[in-house]
Amino acid sequence: MIKVNNLNKVFNQNTKKEFKALKDINIEIQSSTCVILKGVSGSGKSTLLSILGALSKPSSGDIIINNDSIAKLPDLHSSAFRAKNLGFIFQSYNLFNELNVEENISIPLVPLGFSQKEINQKVQTALTLANIEHKKDETVSNLSGGEKQRTAIARALVNNPDIILCDEPTANLDNANSLKFIEVMRKLKELNKTIIIATHDPIFDKLDFVDDTINIKDGEIT
Amino acid sequence: MKTSTFLNFLFLLIYKHKSKHIAISLISILIVFLISSVLFISSSIQKEVFNTLDAQSDFVVQRINSGKIINTPNSWIEDFSDINGVENTQQRVYGQYFFEPSQKYFTIVGIDLFEESTNKNVKKLLQILNIEDFLEKDSMIIGNGVKEVLKEFHYFDDYSFKLHNRELKKISIFKALPKDANILANDLIIMDISLAKEILNINEDESTDIVLNIPNELEHSNIKIELILKHLDIRVIQKEDIKKAYENLYNYKGGLFLILFIIVMITFVLILFQRYTMISSSDKKEIGILRAVGWSIKDVIKLKIFETFIIAFISFLIGIILAYIFVFFLDAPILSNIFLGFHNLENSVSFSPNINFSTISTLFLFFIIPFISAVLIPTWKIAVIEPSESMK
Repeated sequence: MIKVNNLNKVFNQNTKKEFKALKDINIEIQSSTCVILKGVSGSGKSTLLSILGALSKPSSGDIIINNDSIAKLPDLHSSAFRAKNLGFIFQSYNLFNELNVEENISIPLVPLGFSQKEINQKVQTALTLANIEHKKDETVSNLSGGEKQRTAIARALVNNPDIILCDEPTANLDNANSLKFIEVMRKLKELNKTIIIATHDPIFDKLDFVDDTINIKDGEIT
Repeated sequence: MKTSTFLNFLFLLIYKHKSKHIAISLISILIVFLISSVLFISSSIQKEVFNTLDAQSDFVVQRINSGKIINTPNSWIEDFSDINGVENTQQRVYGQYFFEPSQKYFTIVGIDLFEESTNKNVKKLLQILNIEDFLEKDSMIIGNGVKEVLKEFHYFDDYSFKLHNRELKKISIFKALPKDANILANDLIIMDISLAKEILNINEDESTDIVLNIPNELEHSNIKIELILKHLDIRVIQKEDIKKAYENLYNYKGGLFLILFIIVMITFVLILFQRYTMISSSDKKEIGILRAVGWSIKDVIKLKIFETFIIAFISFLIGIILAYIFVFFLDAPILSNIFLGFHNLENSVSFSPNINFSTISTLFLFFIIPFISAVLIPTWKIAVIEPSESMK
């Protein structure tokens, strides 16, 4: 379970440019559920997602994931936590364009001490799950948007994390690829993953596998 | 982290980012190449010079008149030999000969082929020389520079020297010295001592200077005083002084290059530092991605240390290899003149390898440490930023 208590995020604190991105956020997300964080651009949903993913630290408040508080973890522990428990899918994919699909997917596994054989096995599983196996030797710069998205999904899944975080995953996809993405999410839900999607895309409205929708406006839950 | 998978990823990243590293590698190679070329040339010349000096006598005695060096009477040989502790006293005959057709100077050296105590270098020469043939007619052995100049004027077999009385003295060219001797013997003409005296207009009972050995080093200063007491109008030059003069010369030249190296290195480090401080958005993003997918700051820094070390090491190695080829196979065109000076005779020098590994190791450390630091400090600054920020 993911529990967020009195979470605040302030940028440029104590300066003229001070900006409160998140204000007293309190949410609970059950394991193996799919939750949509919905809000317009600048509402604070991506900021909340990056704090949930231990990519940035809150100004105050706490985040408890499976009984571990991650808000103030030192770098070494928060990196290990990210590597073992979280899979991130970014709006702009965030892939290494010079590397091929297979090489990109293997990156999260490098610091974890797996042998090359184990890495190959895990990459193979992720490739199949994200349906991008046929492009495994292709350099990322030669892929279409949908293929890049599936590569990013495979990379997020490669270490079999419990929680998948997606930031505006369909923002750069056409309708057909957005539907393909939704199908992959459905498959992941069936595999009991906890999925949190930050989006303002109406395509996610009324999906049968979505358990909850959290609306954010001006950094507050509405 | 498993070393093999880490190294696999490291080499993959270096290979895929090769275009990003090319400019820095090329500058690094050039710096290492220039500095190590200078070091190779300098150590090779020093070795050559010191080997030659080692074979020389301990003391050179010259006669001074009105502050000018004049010929020394051979009667002094006996005077000096009488001093206890003095050995192998002998005359030396040398001087410059102006070769009018090309306005160049040759150095004529007269050697006494029958003198047992002749120095080691001359003895080596005598081994390759058939003395009977050499003495059969007036002959000379010439350095390569002399050979080229004479060839230009079609003197292939002999040359007639102009004497002081305007007569001509025809001397056969017996052979040319090997090219390895060019550093020291490019403009040299070696001949029998009486012939040399005749051409240089030195009386039979005189010589250019007198050399002697003093095997007991502790006696050097005492004997120097005794030499001066025997004849007050002399100048005594010790081998140690000549060595020191050469050392100073090469340290001075080496020092200039060291300053140059430091300036170049500081500039290079500043360029590198700036390159990584103003790190491109793609570099910054890459670090952010690595951090986002679970790499710790330590993992990212480790990756960057290894990446930088490999690039720096390969550049260093290529620089050293190119310098080795440039100096010892191509004889360091242009650069050799800076060390040897621009001679009156065109000199084509061959350097024999004399590599000082401690100097190479020092150069390596002075190169690699600033190189790695210049990359790591900015990388660390980015790695500690929250991944969500660096990926923007």
